[in-house]
Amino acid sequence: MDHTVIRPRMRPALSDSWRRRLPLLPALLFLILLTQVPFALSIFYSLTDWKVVPPGPREFVGLDNYDSLLHDSFFGEAIWTSVRLTVFPVIGALVLGTAFALLLDRKFFGRGVVRTMLITPFLLVPVVVGLIWKNQLFHGLYGAINWVVENLGGTPVEFVSEHPTLSIGIVLVWQWTPFMMLIVLAGLQSQPTDIVEAAKVDGAGPFAIFRQLTLSHLRPYLELGILLGTIYLIQVYDQIAVMTGGGPGSTNVPYYVYQRSIGGGWEFGLASSYSIVVVIASIVIATFALRVLSTLLKGEQIA
Amino acid sequence: MSAVRYVEATRTYEGTDTPAVDSLSLDVDDGELLVLVGPSGSGKSTALRLLAGLEPLDAGEVHIGDRDVSNVRPRDRDIAMVFQNYALYPQLTVAENIGFALKQHGVPKEERAARVHETARTLDLEPYLDRKPKHLSGGQRQRVAMGRAIARQPAVYLMDEPLSNLDAKLRVQTRAEVAELQARLGVTTVYVTHDQVEAMTMGQRVAVLRDGVLQQVDAPSTLYHEPVNLFVAGFIGSPAMNLVDAGDERPLRIGDSALSLDGSAGTAIGNDGGVTVGFRPEALCVGEGPLSGEIRVVEDLGSEIFVHVAVDHRGERLPLVSKMSPPFEGRTGDRVTLQITGTTHLFDGDGSRIGSATATLG
Amino acid sequence: MSAADVTVAVGERRWVNRALGALAWLVGLLVFFPVFWMVLNSFKSEQDANTSPKLFFDPTLDRYREVTESAGGVLSFGEAFTNSAVIVLLSTLIVLALAIPAAYALAIRPVRRWRDVLFFIISTKFLPVVAAILPIWILARNLDLLNTQLVLVILYAGINLPLAVWMLRSFFREIPRELIEAAEIDGAGLRGQLSSVILPLAAPGIAATALLCVIFAWNEYFYAVQLNPAEGSTVPIWVTTNVSTRGEFLAKLSAASVLACIPVVLAGWIAQKRMIRGLAMGAIK
Repeated sequence: MDHTVIRPRMRPALSDSWRRRLPLLPALLFLILLTQVPFALSIFYSLTDWKVVPPGPREFVGLDNYDSLLHDSFFGEAIWTSVRLTVFPVIGALVLGTAFALLLDRKFFGRGVVRTMLITPFLLVPVVVGLIWKNQLFHGLYGAINWVVENLGGTPVEFVSEHPTLSIGIVLVWQWTPFMMLIVLAGLQSQPTDIVEAAKVDGAGPFAIFRQLTLSHLRPYLELGILLGTIYLIQVYDQIAVMTGGGPGSTNVPYYVYQRSIGGGWEFGLASSYSIVVVIASIVIATFALRVLSTLLKGEQIA
Repeated sequence: MSAVRYVEATRTYEGTDTPAVDSLSLDVDDGELLVLVGPSGSGKSTALRLLAGLEPLDAGEVHIGDRDVSNVRPRDRDIAMVFQNYALYPQLTVAENIGFALKQHGVPKEERAARVHETARTLDLEPYLDRKPKHLSGGQRQRVAMGRAIARQPAVYLMDEPLSNLDAKLRVQTRAEVAELQARLGVTTVYVTHDQVEAMTMGQRVAVLRDGVLQQVDAPSTLYHEPVNLFVAGFIGSPAMNLVDAGDERPLRIGDSALSLDGSAGTAIGNDGGVTVGFRPEALCVGEGPLSGEIRVVEDLGSEIFVHVAVDHRGERLPLVSKMSPPFEGRTGDRVTLQITGTTHLFDGDGSRIGSATATLG
Repeated sequence: MSAADVTVAVGERRWVNRALGALAWLVGLLVFFPVFWMVLNSFKSEQDANTSPKLFFDPTLDRYREVTESAGGVLSFGEAFTNSAVIVLLSTLIVLALAIPAAYALAIRPVRRWRDVLFFIISTKFLPVVAAILPIWILARNLDLLNTQLVLVILYAGINLPLAVWMLRSFFREIPRELIEAAEIDGAGLRGQLSSVILPLAAPGIAATALLCVIFAWNEYFYAVQLNPAEGSTVPIWVTTNVSTRGEFLAKLSAASVLACIPVVLAGWIAQKRMIRGLAMGAIK
């Protein structure tokens, strides 16, 4: 039979290193352009006294902005609020999410429906969530929660105005629990059954199995949840904007920076310095979080 | 001109100190089936992957035909590979799997279909051409993997433990089929396995590797009868050769019996230096002889019987294996006497073979 | 494989199973209640919505009619939805187009310093959006990109790219090495390997990644409201326009909220199993 002989094409090849880098470049360049340019500009603005309203000349003032920042008590408050609105919701969502995942990890009637219900909060638009909770559930007069409180004999509580941090915290936990739950569910699903079976044969009860086997298997999943949850919750803005519009107890750092810049303060120079401080703080937190990352990545070999 | 040539090929994995493959120099003749064999970690798979271009060379060269392919990409080396886990494309049918490479190289549709059919016919895969891998048995998948390589008609076939995932019986059967097919097609083949029985039955020549270093490359019978060192002697042959450390003593003794050697072997071992004595199970006879021992286990395979004995040698219980023909009367615990009746190999302190002789215990 | 694959473990008391099942239902209903209430309110009149919680009432579609009517000058429902749909679709496509090759270069044929590259990519998410808005706003203004769909398409792609690269890399690592090597030997280059091995095998993971990008892009509010307050406004902005300072608006807001959330909620409901499978497959490794 007359066969087409396969003669391998001898194309001049790029060096192996560059052939590997090529697919990465578009994404990398895109990201660098989009993030590093604004960052560099921010640094530049932070060293000026640029005010947009009232407009004035933009002069280089060195580190003055950073100096005034250190004496800004509102900034300190904002940091404290940020801590409370990040740490507690992350932990809360993680614990609840794990609990829900464990509940869902068994077969029962209508399991799919329950799971569908439990993941819904994460799918909703954050501003919607903030608005609905504020105006419907937390409402002092006809909110659903206060209806329950009244019927139990208590006095209605003005959640949003009297307990802003708590209110926003509850909303964040409600919205982010499904996210954690999904991650933990994935972790439970990937647990090898033979080890659990061996433990059962050896006489371990469900609590022992969970504590000693499941928890350690879930560790990378929990760590990922903490990492991603922290990244996203540190930057929360939407719910604060629509629920309280800032104010004591609910202004976290991003919102405060917003207030000083395009949210009314119009002090671009000063606000930029705040941004840079936030970036530096984020890098510090990031280094810590990245150590979590490297535990996640450590088990991998270079292919 | 050889079809495949390794020239001082070396590969060290990142993070390790010792090379996985150390200065390997090996020639494969055109049309030959050469087997790379060795225990795990011996570097045989790495050597194959160096030939495939799936691992980069840290030193040395690899040649295919008259080309130096050391820096050539796998797809340009004109090779085909059969993987241990078959690596079949799960969402393609058998026909599409076999024809995949042809498609990538631009072979026209009609010819592709013709070659796929021809290959399928050779491997008895015609009824399965429209199935996907998940609906095939292990043996069928293995054939599809072979078919994918055969349809290519490359310069070299590379096979990485292609039979390891088959059950024992199927493996024996397929072994013969693969060897027959290769002989018929006449394409140079480099075949990797950890199973020395497979190596011995399939290879025209067998290359034994250990810790990345080539120990010996010869025809199977040469490896069996003239192993170049202790490692090859102990690795080739099943059950393994009986190896006895005779130490510095002269004359050599096993247990209480002295070993008398004929020929030049006596001078070869000199007057001092550690010597290891090796003789295969078929060279050890249970019956009449000066060496006494106790039967530990009798393995009756029907056509042959392996008797495992223990002998007191230099203060320890030395295990030895004897191959006997049926009938054999003897059970665990019996005290027996042994004699050496066949070729005995002598190895020096470094493990190299210094001589072989017909020896007798007295 | 998980505990859920066994209906009742041998010897487990049936009532335990039932009790836990009931607990799960209770928890589910509680968590879902705000959503349920929101949907309920959307069918009420303002009067009904703004009195003590009512379970029974005369349902009406009037609120939906109200919010979807185009009132001249104000951002209309149709406009907001179109903008959001276009922006989310385009930005997600861009993300996938950039992230898939990048993940290839980090998982299948890794560049030498893939760990550093991955660190850098993730680290861009530590830059708070609020910090970046200033220079971005100025740049956008200078490039005449304020109030356009394009600016949000680009920004959302940038926001989601790190997560997409991270997830896709993990999924690609799950593909058996041998399959890639076989394709390589058979002559397939990057494109061939992608189309015949990687994309088919990683499809659930890619779907999960795309879904997450859609969720985050559709729900994004900050960049949208800062950069596109007038034109190119998105659905989250539109929802906030339904809040009045005078008079009652809860029912109207509920209707608007339901409309705003439906697309992503439906997508999430349909894809949830795939999401979990995708995450289990290898998002975490």
